[in-house]
Amino acid sequence: MDSNETQRKKNTGFKISKAKLKTASTSQQDLHNLPTQARPSVDPNDVVVPEGYVVEPVMVGLSFPTDVSFADDGTIFVSEGGSSWPTRPYMPARIVVRHPSGETEAITMNVHAGPRSVTWRDGELYMFFKGGYHAQIAKYNLQTGDLKILIDQIPSGGWHEPGGPIFGPDGLMYFGHGSVTQQGVSLPAGFTVDLAKHPLALDVPGQDVTLTGNNVRSRDPRLPFPFMIETGAFKPFGTPAKKGEVIKGELFCNSAVWRSRPDGTNVELLAWGIRNPFGMAMNEEGELFVTDNDFEEKGERAIANDPDRIWHIKKAREPFGSVTTPDWYGFPDICGDGLPVTHESHLPLRGKAPELLLENPPEWAGPAAFLEQPHSCMCKMDFSTSDAFGYKGELFVAEWGTLAPLNSPRPEDLDHGFRVIRVDVKNGTAEPFMHNKKFGPASTVGSGGIERPVSCKFSPDGKSLYVLDWGVAKVTPGNMMGFAHTGVLWKVTRKEENNG
Amino acid sequence: MDNATKTTVTLIELDQETRSNQLDRAKAWFDNVLLTQASCRKLLLDTVEKIEEPHIKQYLTQMYEQEERHEEKARELFSLIDREPSDIRQFLGEIMGKARQGLGDMIAMTGSVTGPWQDLHQLYISNHHSMGAFAVAEQLGLALGIPRIAEIAFGVVAEKSTSQLLIQECVLEMCSKSILYHESF
Repeated sequence: MDSNETQRKKNTGFKISKAKLKTASTSQQDLHNLPTQARPSVDPNDVVVPEGYVVEPVMVGLSFPTDVSFADDGTIFVSEGGSSWPTRPYMPARIVVRHPSGETEAITMNVHAGPRSVTWRDGELYMFFKGGYHAQIAKYNLQTGDLKILIDQIPSGGWHEPGGPIFGPDGLMYFGHGSVTQQGVSLPAGFTVDLAKHPLALDVPGQDVTLTGNNVRSRDPRLPFPFMIETGAFKPFGTPAKKGEVIKGELFCNSAVWRSRPDGTNVELLAWGIRNPFGMAMNEEGELFVTDNDFEEKGERAIANDPDRIWHIKKAREPFGSVTTPDWYGFPDICGDGLPVTHESHLPLRGKAPELLLENPPEWAGPAAFLEQPHSCMCKMDFSTSDAFGYKGELFVAEWGTLAPLNSPRPEDLDHGFRVIRVDVKNGTAEPFMHNKKFGPASTVGSGGIERPVSCKFSPDGKSLYVLDWGVAKVTPGNMMGFAHTGVLWKVTRKEENNG
Repeated sequence: MDNATKTTVTLIELDQETRSNQLDRAKAWFDNVLLTQASCRKLLLDTVEKIEEPHIKQYLTQMYEQEERHEEKARELFSLIDREPSDIRQFLGEIMGKARQGLGDMIAMTGSVTGPWQDLHQLYISNHHSMGAFAVAEQLGLALGIPRIAEIAFGVVAEKSTSQLLIQECVLEMCSKSILYHESF
């Protein structure tokens, strides 16, 4: 490893502390004239849930929130801000803490990209951060203020996100991280969001792979003039691959799922080839499931009609420490339906058709536990464990929603997502649970309902489902703008519970 | 469906005091946008007058009309947050435009440059400066949740980015004539 790479992987650390947060209390009736013109109204009456359930907003004005967690006493933790989706505007990276009394404060941090998840466990917050060339899992003790970096070597700095950490009934820590690249090769579309800061970022495989040498030609936006350049798989932008070249697999790869002891030791790679395992959940039987988002139909390696999917991580059933070969779930060459990206059903209407990147790929670990409409963008999720809430054993999944027409030219993709679904993982079926009266984000359909659900978690007693709504993103065929202070935390309860 | 409950909702940084403070700070930046834009527009006006080559003169003349519109857009930003622009800042911007012209003259004198090339070079820097100020205004619009600010600023940045390529090409194409041959254009 050369010195530059050593420097990139070095943990430079960051500071974390508690701070006051400017908040105000209001009633639901006062949410119709908010100062954020991007989301002027929040109205639970515009949200549809099954008969017998009630929806209410809990927090309004969040900025690009990513995850929610709870302490046993009911304290709510919401991770938000940083440099996220898109990377601008940056908003303060922090955890918003709302105590049962209603008092609200913030845990602030000087880390660039910010927290993408938060998990409370035994008085400590576990957070997964992007920022720089490697992602970090950190543990923060709420009493002592002690901060420990548990994992700091996952190659990151690109398009996709960390997943977890979550903790299984076995007490182990499960976590994941998506690919640096959007489409299997570093390309300008990714460059404009993340690779401008990390031009040397690259995908790293979890097993030794042999490359076909099918490089992708694109413009090079780094240069004073947009010359053409070639880029290969598992290479930084602008570096071509050779046919027959072998890329060595590494424990700390990306597009992967791992487990470890809670202190971050004895890391074990369970799976790789998962494009974006942002959502992770384990049921009461200890079966691990992760969400994964489909390829995009645009650009120099465009792939059509790739379904969003939930993978069952079967290696998680094997004894800790016994996994010698991780399962491979298809990225960058296999779609969620098990067909190669070159199959005629995945040929794009827009952009350049893909070529295969891997020679003699590993055995595919599919099929998926559940397939969803393309570009639904399934995110974080949680299993219902309560008869009081209902649907016990079903998996509730937040769907952030499509970026069409930016990432797909197909009219049918325009309203995919923007809801919460409940999935029967045993049968691979799902039903909508929470959505607007007219499908789509509230800002598009003209209501005060939900925008983009990014996480959903059950309260510690299992009786309430909290749905974290990322807020407003305005999408055009060419770009996307995200608006701060438009995020909402919703709470869904059964009416019987609500009425005591 | 009736989802109305009596639960209290927590507003994050959307109370009137916090919001008003942030809008005041945004206003201070918008004054910078106006200043840099006025400076760029003034320098462009003076540069157009010096250039004789008909095509470059035409490019910059059209660009000047665009810059006048950009200055109107800069002023519109204030109305979106119920604030008034500082006319003093705009006046200072025009003075800065003249000062940058003077800087170009000094560079020309010490750098073996002839003709209006040095003004073009200063315009290249000034347009970049102004473009950056609008780009920041776009971020503030996104951070405040006000789409119209972001839309206006994004549109201006897109046009200025196109202008920047044109100015860059003129600067790079004409530098050899100005520096090596000591000829005007």
